[in-house]
Amino acid sequence: MLFAFGERNKITIYLIGDSTMADKEVKAYPETGWGMPFHYFFDSSVTVDNRAKNGRSTRTFIEEGRWQPVVENLKEGDYVLIQFGHNDEVPTKKSYTTPDEFKKNLIKFVTESRSKKSIPILITPVARRKFDAEGKIEETHAVYQQLVKDVAKQLNVPLIDLDKESQELVQQFGPDASQYLYNHLEPGENPHYPEGRADNTHFSELGARKMAQIVLHDIQKLNLGLAQHIRVVHQKEKK
Amino acid sequence: MYKRAFKKVILLSVVALLSFTLPIKKHSSVWMIGDSTMCQYDSSRFPLTGWGMKFEEYFDSSVTIENKARGGRSTRTFISENRWQPIVNNLSKGDYVFIQFGHNDEAKNYPDRYTSPEDYRKNLIKFVSESREKDAIPVLITPVSRRKFDANGNALETHEVYSKIVHEVADKYKVPLIDLDKMSRALFQKFGPENSKLLFMQLQPGENPNYPVGDNDNTHFTTYGARHIAELVLNGIENLHLELADRIVKNKS
Repeated sequence: MLFAFGERNKITIYLIGDSTMADKEVKAYPETGWGMPFHYFFDSSVTVDNRAKNGRSTRTFIEEGRWQPVVENLKEGDYVLIQFGHNDEVPTKKSYTTPDEFKKNLIKFVTESRSKKSIPILITPVARRKFDAEGKIEETHAVYQQLVKDVAKQLNVPLIDLDKESQELVQQFGPDASQYLYNHLEPGENPHYPEGRADNTHFSELGARKMAQIVLHDIQKLNLGLAQHIRVVHQKEKK
Repeated sequence: MYKRAFKKVILLSVVALLSFTLPIKKHSSVWMIGDSTMCQYDSSRFPLTGWGMKFEEYFDSSVTIENKARGGRSTRTFISENRWQPIVNNLSKGDYVFIQFGHNDEAKNYPDRYTSPEDYRKNLIKFVSESREKDAIPVLITPVSRRKFDANGNALETHEVYSKIVHEVADKYKVPLIDLDKMSRALFQKFGPENSKLLFMQLQPGENPNYPVGDNDNTHFTTYGARHIAELVLNGIENLHLELADRIVKNKS
């Protein structure tokens, strides 16, 4: 009875999405999904359950039976943060999902979350690092980010426009320094990547934290109840 | 009966054969002793990260990292608080002791931490000789640099006196040395005066809920910075050709 009482006030935030959000195996470090640092900002009433998986689209996430267990576990007051697109939008990938299917799958996530009295939040796919010749960042999810917005509008779902906001951040770092946000490693620098790496999709620890901070700020701006569970720290000013 | 004995012989021969063909890696602990730049932090202080926290992510299962570093400790207070003796008691043959102090030893404005150069030298020698008495392998590390640039954008030396003492002790006692002070300064130089801030706990007010008023720290690292420092130490192990280098996990590209 006591146990049930305590559990009632507990909130779980489920993260569903792809490699940009997922937890990584240690041997893949320093590649970091933004769901990894996202854990560190909530008080003890919140559990972050990161179900995001490398390489998954909305379609393969459902087909592999990754969504159904989330639905079964959802309870009133839980949150579902939904960020897909990177693997849905590439026609050459096995994970490819047509725009129509993508919309249908997002609607499924939203309605089934709501049927369990949980709160879905839609997130546009986080930006890739791609600049034009003038040093201006390019939109790399033009079609699919719009679909996320369409669904959010149609079903009145809280939306975090991470695509746009992360583009702004990457632009602010600029064509050169923005490499620090992504998994860029020189040959011989890191034992896990002996020949180095120049990845413009997956994040370093720095990029992952910056993306998590964007999501967190938007949770505050959206005036969701969840914002009350962001840890309050009373920090002394340094002299 | 006969059959069972036969089975036993076969099994024993297989084990004997395997022990010759597969060099079974002996287990080693790496004991890390040092200060706040190396130590563990609670996740409530994220992104504050000691480089030991990232260092431990790069070894195979034959290695256990024992990060005993503590914030604010000098060689003197690490010993006086009885943090060293329990490590000595637990050292096994083939263990490593990674020693990185200096930030608090050299801090004259913190008399409760300060250690004179002579005492600093004496304490380093104590760590080295007591490790060796237990057939463990001490590795001396010069204190990781602070972020300090001159007006022309040159990364400046921040541990001049105490780094030199580490060098001298390493020379005199033939201790493997990782010159982290120099390596980290070269790293900061490569990042430059502005981008090197990304390695340190430099946070804007309101940026990170764990630091509502921000932070402006040129000594302590973010996760990103701590990983870069760990990479330098891992490279140092490779360059020294320590046996430990064979146990660093290298993925095939």
